[in-house]
Amino acid sequence: MPEVNKFQMDELVSELRRPAPFDASFDKRVMRAIRSVAMQPLRIITPLMPLPRWRVWSAFAAVAIGMVAVSVLPGMRVAHGHPVQFVLVAPDAKTVQVVGDFNGWDVRHAAYAAENRGGGVWSLTTPIPPGHHRYAFLVDDSLWVPDPAAPRVADEDFGMPNSALVVEDTP
Amino acid sequence: MDGRADALIVEQVLAGDVEAFATLVKRYRDRCARYAMHMLGNREDADEVLQDAFVRAYRSLGRCEDPDRFGAWLFRILVNRCRTAGARRARRARTFLADEVALLTASEEHPAEQWAWREEIERALAELRSEQREAFLLKYVEGLGYDEMAELTGIGVSALKMRVMRACDRLRVLLKEVRSA
Repeated sequence: MPEVNKFQMDELVSELRRPAPFDASFDKRVMRAIRSVAMQPLRIITPLMPLPRWRVWSAFAAVAIGMVAVSVLPGMRVAHGHPVQFVLVAPDAKTVQVVGDFNGWDVRHAAYAAENRGGGVWSLTTPIPPGHHRYAFLVDDSLWVPDPAAPRVADEDFGMPNSALVVEDTP
Repeated sequence: MDGRADALIVEQVLAGDVEAFATLVKRYRDRCARYAMHMLGNREDADEVLQDAFVRAYRSLGRCEDPDRFGAWLFRILVNRCRTAGARRARRARTFLADEVALLTASEEHPAEQWAWREEIERALAELRSEQREAFLLKYVEGLGYDEMAELTGIGVSALKMRVMRACDRLRVLLKEVRSA
């Protein structure tokens, strides 16, 4: 910091580095909150692989083969939302799971497992409630992948990219 | 003092030992509290954001890619929570609230002098733009390198250096004004 009065800045930093301790009740309150959360299952996702073991085709490739990555199918509204088709091209994948705020980011929810349609195309059509949603694909229980054909949003906690989905509340 | 490595504790928590998480709370609480207090300017908001950060960390523990660096991962969550809270609460009465931070962190030695100095610092800090305050605190109070800061914030190194430099310039001017008053 050559342009700053070093003595004064050192003094300032030294003051700011003093601990700002919270009272003992903080730990108890946090753990109470944690215990209540623990009643729900943990969202366990194994660490990301350093290099993808499979290929994700670009959005253009997905479109070229006639698949729309995320689309609301008109006229098919069901009780819990509109049917939405999720598509990922991942030829080497063993499993593909759709995870998002609409299923509590549950990585093991059987109803959100995509099916292999052949040619490396994985697809799932499921009703999604109207509103703004975030989601991603989990490949082989290990690789977190945003939808290559959908807009991306940064995860507000981790900066990990997720995909954005808007389901209109139309009849 | 619990000497278990973070990775071991994370493993225990993921295996179902919820109470093991208390060790991580105790281990990282004070450092995180200090950052949240300086960023948000008051204890109430800092307390809420810090609690939220710990709960989010617990809920997402399976997404912690490197459990040995749980502290860094938690800090990333906290920085993002502070940004969200800061944007939402938009510098609400920071001038007054800065007094609270100064009071809570003032030294017991020479309390009157210390209080006044702390108050000056917190008021000056509160005058910074939030992104400058964030960069300054991460660099000089948390002692992070620019590469770590870039990883943590998603901001480029050059931009971070500029923010820190501007924060330093502004702090120097503000503190000089106070001292010459």
